[in-house]
Amino acid sequence: MFKKAYTMLLACVLLLTVVLAGCSGNSKETSGESGSKKTIKFMHLWPQGSSKQQNMIVTDIIKQFEAEHKDVKVEVEVLENEQYKNKIKVLSSSNELPDVGFTWAAGYMKPFVEGKLFASLDDVLNGGLKDSFIKGTTEAYATDGKTYGLPLELNIAPIYYNKQIFEKYNLEVPKTYSEFQNVVQTLEKNGVAPIALGNKDRWTGSLWYMYLADRIGGSEVLNKAINRSGSFEDPALVSAADEVQKLVKENAFNKGFNGLSNDEGKSEFLNGKAAMYLMGTWELPNFTTNEEIPKDFRDNVGFFKFPTVEGGKGDINSWVGGPGVGLFVAENSKVKDEAKEFVKFFVEKWGEQSVEKAGVIPATKVDTTKVELPQLYVDVLNELNKASNLTLFADVQMSASVAETHLNLIQSLFGGEVKPSDFAKKHEDALKKEEGK
Amino acid sequence: MNQPVRKNAAPVILPEKQSSFGTHSLWNRTAYGILYLFLAIVAVFQIFPIIWLFLFSLKNNQEVFNMSPFALPEHPKWENYAKVWTEGNISQYFMNSVVYTVAAVILTVVLASMVTFAITRMNWKGSKLVLGLFMVGLMIPVHSTLIPLFSTFTQFNLIDSPLSVILSYTAFNLPITIMILLGFYEALPREVEEAAVMDGASINHIFFKITLPMTSPVIATAAIINMIYNWNEFVFVNTFISSDSYKTLTVGIQNFIGQYTTDWGAIGATLVISILPILIAFFILSNRIVEGIASGSVKG
Amino acid sequence: MDKVMSNKKVIALYIAPALFLVLALIYVPIVQTGYFGMTKWNGVGAKEFIGLENYMALIKDEMFWKTAYHSLMLAVFSVISLIGYLFISIILAGKIKGADLLRKIYLIPMLLASVAIAQLWLKIYHPSNGILNTILVSLGVENPPSWLAEPGLALYAIIVPIIWQYAGFYILIYYAALKNIPESLLEAARIDGATPWQIALKIKLPLIMNVIKVTIVLAVVGSLKYFDLIYVMTDGGPNGSSEVMASYMYHRAFKEFDFGYGSAIGFFLLVICLVVTWIIRKFTAADENVY
Repeated sequence: MFKKAYTMLLACVLLLTVVLAGCSGNSKETSGESGSKKTIKFMHLWPQGSSKQQNMIVTDIIKQFEAEHKDVKVEVEVLENEQYKNKIKVLSSSNELPDVGFTWAAGYMKPFVEGKLFASLDDVLNGGLKDSFIKGTTEAYATDGKTYGLPLELNIAPIYYNKQIFEKYNLEVPKTYSEFQNVVQTLEKNGVAPIALGNKDRWTGSLWYMYLADRIGGSEVLNKAINRSGSFEDPALVSAADEVQKLVKENAFNKGFNGLSNDEGKSEFLNGKAAMYLMGTWELPNFTTNEEIPKDFRDNVGFFKFPTVEGGKGDINSWVGGPGVGLFVAENSKVKDEAKEFVKFFVEKWGEQSVEKAGVIPATKVDTTKVELPQLYVDVLNELNKASNLTLFADVQMSASVAETHLNLIQSLFGGEVKPSDFAKKHEDALKKEEGK
Repeated sequence: MNQPVRKNAAPVILPEKQSSFGTHSLWNRTAYGILYLFLAIVAVFQIFPIIWLFLFSLKNNQEVFNMSPFALPEHPKWENYAKVWTEGNISQYFMNSVVYTVAAVILTVVLASMVTFAITRMNWKGSKLVLGLFMVGLMIPVHSTLIPLFSTFTQFNLIDSPLSVILSYTAFNLPITIMILLGFYEALPREVEEAAVMDGASINHIFFKITLPMTSPVIATAAIINMIYNWNEFVFVNTFISSDSYKTLTVGIQNFIGQYTTDWGAIGATLVISILPILIAFFILSNRIVEGIASGSVKG
Repeated sequence: MDKVMSNKKVIALYIAPALFLVLALIYVPIVQTGYFGMTKWNGVGAKEFIGLENYMALIKDEMFWKTAYHSLMLAVFSVISLIGYLFISIILAGKIKGADLLRKIYLIPMLLASVAIAQLWLKIYHPSNGILNTILVSLGVENPPSWLAEPGLALYAIIVPIIWQYAGFYILIYYAALKNIPESLLEAARIDGATPWQIALKIKLPLIMNVIKVTIVLAVVGSLKYFDLIYVMTDGGPNGSSEVMASYMYHRAFKEFDFGYGSAIGFFLLVICLVVTWIIRKFTAADENVY
């Protein structure tokens, strides 16, 4: 009898196993041709919950695409940013990338390109798409003259400010760095945190450093240090680090910034405790259409360009920013032609509606006369047209390991744990080591 | 049944009045008071996270970041719950979570009990070696297993199959479950089992009819721990599963994490929804820990 | 007795399924991790075999030893905290009024997912409007620290929630162990006139010693490979001051694409766990036990 019990148990376990394996086997569709339909596997990072509009546009585009291509089915997997990046890495280690997915530019993309996992998209670009992209955006996705990704977003980083606070203390939008210093000191004296910053995420602090470097040494000095035609120990890069520490000493940033996430730092600005916030234009919905944030606050947000530094080589129309996520096609995709077709279709359709519907500025040109936009967006788009230069976020430009070094050093710099000269030297060492590889 | 083992199973329950704190001197009462004060303070500390989580789930981002954690928002955002329920495939995720958790917990507890029984009760060379083999399983961090596991599952065509998740949960929880069981098996009197052997019972009989019931308190303990781990796990699910129809409730949390910003209130609502079933299961299982003593005191 | 209890077939049957799972899903990855550790690999392209180079670099890697020290600190505090949990469990397992309810309440936090615990403690530690600093300010502390932002404090600040997170786990185990003690033994002691504390120290503790040893190993090994809250709450920062071995491994492998080196860290972590467990066993091997 008890033998029976044991056998029963084993049988149950086995049965469960078989059933589960069976039902997984049945509904599982491998990418490629299944029956008469071809399946494109597509991974993106805009979940329905947090990125409703983006998700809706994507779903719409897929529907349209499937309607126009009756023999193709698009299978979607959505993961949030962090999990998405992890999964892509695991998938690529087994050469199992989805047919189409999201990637980031430059340094992030490099290993995938070198490992021959991404397909060149030059044919798609030359098939008529090229002219619709804003100059300089697809270039960030190019290696050795070939383009491996087509960007969907374009962002620049202005300094947002709270007009009410500025008015209260009779402050003017600063055009030069000394005016800016004045603003900071006045606010500080009056017990208002001048700048909201959440530097646990580290790239947030990097924006400040990048702008100072640009305004002091000109738009090329940082790029040159990173692409090794220059040095990171350039005096401009050292004095930019020095300026960062001066700002910290003046209490320009909210308390405890190094332990706060960007979300937490941002909330200091949103709740009116801090007067300024340097961030990408992806924040614009929060200052225009986001109903969660009091209208009173939204109506009082303006932005200004990072002021010029007296005696510096920088131009006020030079921006830190660049394309965000872009689409790739897997090199070993079994449905490469369809995947490329899908990418082309996606980029075109996305460009038509992303600003208006989701508040995301696409990397393709936007006809401002055709779309209805809040004033803040119009102003930003105008600035974008006037831009003299776009410097890609440093951590995206750099290779992954140098980027980590950079980000850690940024945190130490803001925390006052590293001297500006050592800050520069450690960057130089990391870049040199990478070059030697 | 070939043998009524439980003939003496009348549970030994002491009358409550025979409490060890029975003497009511003033000193004793003060000590008692201090003890209760201490226990109450700890209890408050342990209960406040649940209250906090509930309040958290009724706020929007603005309120999450600006209000005191224990302040009730002026307009509770019940819509967070509506959002969670209507967006995405939550009932499907819920079912998947239940299936994965239950399957893995049963598998783990039964397999671990069998191993522990074989190691502590049966005589064979190499039992220590085998125990050591299991213990090493405790020591490997999850992220260094992801890539090898992924390629293993790919080879067996188990990627995007619930089986990959259930088997991973089982394998990775077996070592800790065996460790927990081990301490108890060691302390458990062997007399009952020995008597059963004398009476000619088979090993399967002894294991399933005597040892398993006797260890039910620790089985409940191990089941609770396994259940919590499996229920909240997301790294394996995200890595091995790609079809939406096989994902679990933890996806509900991810659903609200955006590229640049996160909807914390909705995450709170998801957390509250997902903690309810496990809270109920926990209360039921946790009673088993005490009840188990009654059936555990077979030896009388 | 011996004959029944040494039936080879039955032993094999009882061990095999579990052993198979562990070998296939844990040992295979361990071996592969060890091998990846001997390659130069960015996780994408081809692996280049470089022998022990990564491991040699690891031994000289100051950052790694710093993270190992942090992990060790976590392990030490985790073990110390066991005393407190044991104390509470003894009280709860005694015959006091309301013990049943208290026990359930005490275990509630362990049901929370790490995301929730992290958010809660971020609210506690928030530099300006966090619970902790609000209390400190109202007590007259003028400039309370920004707990998670200060390199000297971040590690210790984050150890607190980790220890708290596991309170339920250990209390549950101790409680079940204490409840497992045959009532007759305790009753005999009471009749002999032993005080509750004497019973706890002289009878209960020795009887659950095996369980205590197990929890020490679990606490140490669990701490050495700990990852969750650190990753969410500080991401190892500021500037690595709260980085532990597992988060360092994660950063090297998944953030810096250095899967070769990351794997080496993972494998080395295993070796450290083995060594430490061996030491614990030496220390606690006074009795003849499996442990």
